[in-house]
Order: sequence, then C-alpha cells, then structure tokens
Amino acid sequence: MRWVWAWIEERTGWAAAVRGVFDREYTGGAGIRHAFPAVLVYLFVQQALLGVTLSLFYSPSASDAWASTAYLTDQVTMGWFVRGLHYHGASAFVVVSGLYVLSLAASAAYRRPHELEWFAALAMVGLSLAFGLTGNPLPWDQQGFWSIQVELGIVESTPGGAAIRNVVQGGDEMGNLSVLRLFTIHAFVLPIVFGALLAFAIGQRRRHGVTPPLGLSEHEAARRTVRYAPSQLFVDVLAIAITSAALVAGTIATHGSELYAPADPVEAFQARPEWYFLALYKLRALFEGPLEPIATMVAPGAVAAFLITAPFIERAKGRAGRTLVVVGLGLVMTGVVGLTGWSIVADRGDEDYQKALAQAHSQAQRARELAFKGVHPQGGTAVFWNDPDFKVKLLFKEHCLGCHTVEGFGGDEAPELTDYSSRQWLRGLIRDPNQPRYFGNTKHDDMDAYPEDSVSDEQLTATVEYIVSLMGDPAMAVNPELASTGKTLWEDELECNSCHEVKPGESGDGPNLSGHGSKAWVARVIRDSSRADLFGEAAEMPTFADKLTDEEIDQLAAYVVSLREPSESK
Amino acid sequence: LSRDNRNGSEVGLEGRRTFVLSGAAMIGAAAVATFAGPALAVLADPLMRRTSSSPDAFLPAGKPSLFSGDEPVKVDLFADKVDGWNRVEQVKVGSAWVMRHGGKLVALSTICPHLGCGVDYDPNAGKFLCPCHKSWFALDGSVESGPSPRGLDPLELKADDQLVAIRYRRYKTGVAEQEPA
Repeated sequence: MRWVWAWIEERTGWAAAVRGVFDREYTGGAGIRHAFPAVLVYLFVQQALLGVTLSLFYSPSASDAWASTAYLTDQVTMGWFVRGLHYHGASAFVVVSGLYVLSLAASAAYRRPHELEWFAALAMVGLSLAFGLTGNPLPWDQQGFWSIQVELGIVESTPGGAAIRNVVQGGDEMGNLSVLRLFTIHAFVLPIVFGALLAFAIGQRRRHGVTPPLGLSEHEAARRTVRYAPSQLFVDVLAIAITSAALVAGTIATHGSELYAPADPVEAFQARPEWYFLALYKLRALFEGPLEPIATMVAPGAVAAFLITAPFIERAKGRAGRTLVVVGLGLVMTGVVGLTGWSIVADRGDEDYQKALAQAHSQAQRARELAFKGVHPQGGTAVFWNDPDFKVKLLFKEHCLGCHTVEGFGGDEAPELTDYSSRQWLRGLIRDPNQPRYFGNTKHDDMDAYPEDSVSDEQLTATVEYIVSLMGDPAMAVNPELASTGKTLWEDELECNSCHEVKPGESGDGPNLSGHGSKAWVARVIRDSSRADLFGEAAEMPTFADKLTDEEIDQLAAYVVSLREPSESK
Repeated sequence: LSRDNRNGSEVGLEGRRTFVLSGAAMIGAAAVATFAGPALAVLADPLMRRTSSSPDAFLPAGKPSLFSGDEPVKVDLFADKVDGWNRVEQVKVGSAWVMRHGGKLVALSTICPHLGCGVDYDPNAGKFLCPCHKSWFALDGSVESGPSPRGLDPLELKADDQLVAIRYRRYKTGVAEQEPA
C-alpha cells in the first residue's frame, strides 16, 4: 500500500501540501473565532451535495415544480429529510457567514492587509441571502410564489429594477422561465461565485495569517501561537460537529421543510419571508407609501456602504475610527435583531395571520394528500382535480350554475342555492317567494308571500322548524316542541297543507315537502323536477335522469346539501 | 501547546497530531454521514419503489373487424399512467402486433427481447424484423435468426363481438426466460 501513496505523492505533492496546512501558525492561539471559514466549507459541501441530490427529483418548471417537490417530500425515501436539511442548511449559511463577519470585526481583521478577506466575508453574507431568495421559491408553492412576487416587486421599484426583474423572471409574467431562471441562478451561478469567494477568503487568510484578538500584546500573541493541527483543527471539527448536530436536530424537530399548497396566482396568500428577511420586511412595514424606498433601498444601502467602507472609516479617523465602526456595527445588529424579534412577536399575536396560516397549513396538507395519486401535468394546482369535490363542482358548474347562484356566482333564473334550505333560507322564501333569489324568475308564482303582518316572527320560526323536521337530516337538530307548534300553524292557521302534502308520494299544487331539502329529495328534483309530487308541469328545470349517471346525481345532491350551514334551531 | 514545546519536542507534537487527527477524522466522517447517508437513500430510492406504473387491466385495442385480414396489425394501447409525480390520462403505454393464428386472435409485444427496439413487420418476407440488430421472428413470434435470446413476448388477449382488449406488460430484455420487467 505504502508504495501507492508514495507513487501518488511523488506526482501530486498533496501530503506535503496538507503538512503545510497543518503547520500554519495561528498567532494568538486557536479558537472558535477562527473556525467559521471551516464551517462554511462544510456547509458548502453539504449544500452542494444535497442540492445535487434534490435535483434528482426536482423538475424546474412552473407546471412541474410543486408536484415534483411534493413527490420528493412525501414519497421518496428520506426525501423530506434531504430537503429539510438543505432548507435549514441555508439558514445556517446566513448565520455562519454573519458570524464570520462579526468575528473579523471583533478582532478588527478588516484592517490592512485584511481588507479583501473582509469584503469576501461581506459578499458571502449577501450571497447567503441570495441563495435563500432564489431557493425558497423553487418548490413553487404559495409561500415561495408570493414571496418572490413581493421581492421582485421591490426590485422593480428601484432604478433600473424593471429590467432586472424582467431578466430574472424571464418576461413580464411568472411562469416556466421564472422557475428555470431562479433554479439556474440558485444551482449554478451562486454556488460557483460562493465557492470562489470562499476559496479566495481562505487564500487571503493563508497569505496574511489570522488576526489575534485585540488587546493582546505582540509578545503575548507570539507566546500563544499554535499550529493549525492539532489545535485549530480540533476546534474546527468541533464547530462542524456542533453545526451538523444542530441541523439534523432542527430538521427532525421541524419535520423538514414546509411545503404549502401549489402556487396559485389568483389565490392570495399571507406570505412571510424567511426569518433572515424579517428585519427588512418589518422595516418596510414601517415606511409605507412614498417613504417605502427608505426601507427597501436607503437603509439596506447605507448598511452595506458602512460595512464595505469600515476599513477606510477606521483608517481615516484613527483611534476614534474603531469606536465608530464598533458603534455602527452594534447599531446595525441591534436594528436587525430588534426588527426580527418584533416581526416574530407581532405575528404571534396577530390572530388574522395565525388564522390564515392555519388555513394555509390545512390546504397544504389536503394538496399533499391528493398529490399521492399523481398530479395532472397541467400544473401544481391541477392536484385539486384529484379531489372528488372538484369533479362535483365541475359538474355543478357545467349543469347547474347557469340558472342557480352559489356564493355570488351563477344565474338567477332559478332559486339561489347558497345555504340552500337552511332555516334562514326557508324564512326568506316564506316571507317572499317571488324574490329573484327564490322563485321570482321562474313560472312558480302561485305561492303567497307571508310578510310580518300575516305571520309573526315567532310563527315563522315555528313553521320553519316544522319544515326542517320534515327534512329528516340528522345534521339539522330539530326542536320538537317548536316543530309541533309549527305543525299546528301549518295545518290550521296558515293552511300550507292546502297546497303542500307532507306524506310521501302524495301530490298537491305545490311540491310535497316530505324530506324537503334532504339529499334524497334534491336528487329526485335533479332527476326530474316536473314529477307531480314535486314542482309539476310548470317546472322549467331540465330533467337530468338520462343526462347524468345515478352516481353523478347523488354527488350533486350531496354537494347542494353541503352548501347548507347546519344552524341551531332558535 | 506553547511555542517552546513546538520547537522543543516535535515527537510530542506528532503524537498529539495523530491522536487529534484520528478523532477529528471520525467526528468529521460522522458529520458528513448525516447528509451523505440520506442523500444516498434518495439516490437509491428507485431501487426500493416503483416510480411509474400503468394499470394492470385489459386495454381496448379495437373492434374485431379491424383484425380480419391475414397480415398482423399494429395497435397502440392507451391507459392512464403514473410517471413519477405525474398522473397522465390516456397516454400510449405500448403497442402490440395482433393477428389471427389458427382461427384465434393473438397479440405479441412489439418490443424486441434482445435490447428493446421496436419490431417491424416485413410484408414481403411475412416475418417480423427488429431493425436494430436484425433479429427475424416468425409470425408466431419464435426467433428465426439474429441475436434475440427468445421469441416475441405474447400478450394476453380477450375478444368478444364488440371489442378486442389486450393486457399490456413489459418484460426484461436480454434474457432467455420471460420475466416481468
């Protein structure tokens, strides 16, 4: 074996190179303050490998992105974990590159000749954010879609931003090109730039050495000097192990990364950016209207300019310069932490947001369950086609919505079906059946209206209760006493029974109301509403008995019944 | 480790280095395993599950009158198919050669058992020919010449007065025995 190593070594010189690395001197001693570049290397390798793995299952197009991510997350072995680790790894990138900058700032390691390492570290923070910005929309779920929508909107509001948006988005609208471009930036452009910067920063450290902690005398720093191996190597590996353990624990604790419902450009969503953008998000909320550029451009621009010029500020101002840099950095950190915390606390206490979030989660879960059957290639939202309700709604739209209205949509030639045959619906009908909402636009005009001077509110309540009792729907709890009062009114005072029979099968001038509003009753109406015991010859509603299957009719009837909010009897 | 020590005892340094290095290597390997392991599982996922499927049902091939002639007729078979994350409705899942054999309708897969090319019918020779590596098959599907390790795979066929239906299946190529793919 040994000769193989010798053979390789003779040609590569790697062992000597490694020895050179191991022998490098760490002036002032080893410490966690020098470990961040090593952790970044670890994270970079992790993210690169996981990213390649994810791309085995991810399809970067607007029509496929969500479905392929759902497949990866919910069906592929360990897919949820790989995606979750990659997601949390992105957060770690932001944290560790931020700590790297802070560690350099702490020992004033931006001073001559370390300026370029400082710049590279700053750029890596920016790139970590860019990784998040381009990576989070890739699943093309509601969260990702609306986040990038807002972020590109901000870009567009800057001078020259419209062109940038158009190029990043691949046109005027979000679509296949947008997903592919974001993916290309995320998976090819940023890693190459980031890798190059990281290598450059490490090269700079090698050339100029690490900076010992401030306040250490030259003699003391020299006395504490160690070699990279074993001292700093040990700290580096420890820091990597801690990072790795935290990421694994975080991934398991959060069950990976959330996948919301597929992106739907017509369904609004209360998107919140990732935690590392919350400070900017909150800042923007503080400067609404014409002042918005302060939050989106002026403040971030000023912070970036301050950090980039820190080495020169300090040099120009001498001893006071260091104070200026420290105070400035302190202010920036306080601002970022404060705004982030404020945003989190505000969202926790925001009931509307929490409600929207809970709804988003349940919709996400529904979509992901439906995705197990396979998603139609038309796009992410096509997953809802797998929903049995969806087919019914489509049937309803095709056959019923032309005449019946539901929740504001539809025709008015036939009774509205929103809340169909609920107590409220029945009350309105009896008060005035000739409203367009009820039978106003049909040929059924025989029934009298019963305004308040003919039937009191109490009497109406009792009568409605009686009708509901005829329905026999267990979801509609009936007050038996009230119903029996209603029955008396029905038979003796209002004489409803002169037109409406209540014994199954018998026909009168009006529809027989036994089982009225129940699923079976609705199904009979759909089959043939012109039967003598239903609406008789005046019925204009088409007969569906021979147009739809029994199953379809039953599904439609169930759907119509489901439009009714079960209400308590008064 | 002080500077004096570093200069004074290189042997001590080497010893500590070896110790720390092996520890670091182990911890580092464990850290890398936390992501490399799951990544391998994802990579190997297709070994553990089916990633695509079509229904194992008889698929309509056409009316019986379509196959009344003497020559084999190629029919495309359509079914709903699950392909990874997609479910596609009524896509072509495969084709079959259908012909009369001793008064009975039979169906043969169009996939050459050698390396999976599509087999053609040569009306002049009255035989099937695989255009890729020149395997010749008789009308009953048996190999006459060429590299194919077995005859064309017969497919289950069901016919009544109205409809001819075929159960489409894929088999492993390159082996002498017929095995489900």
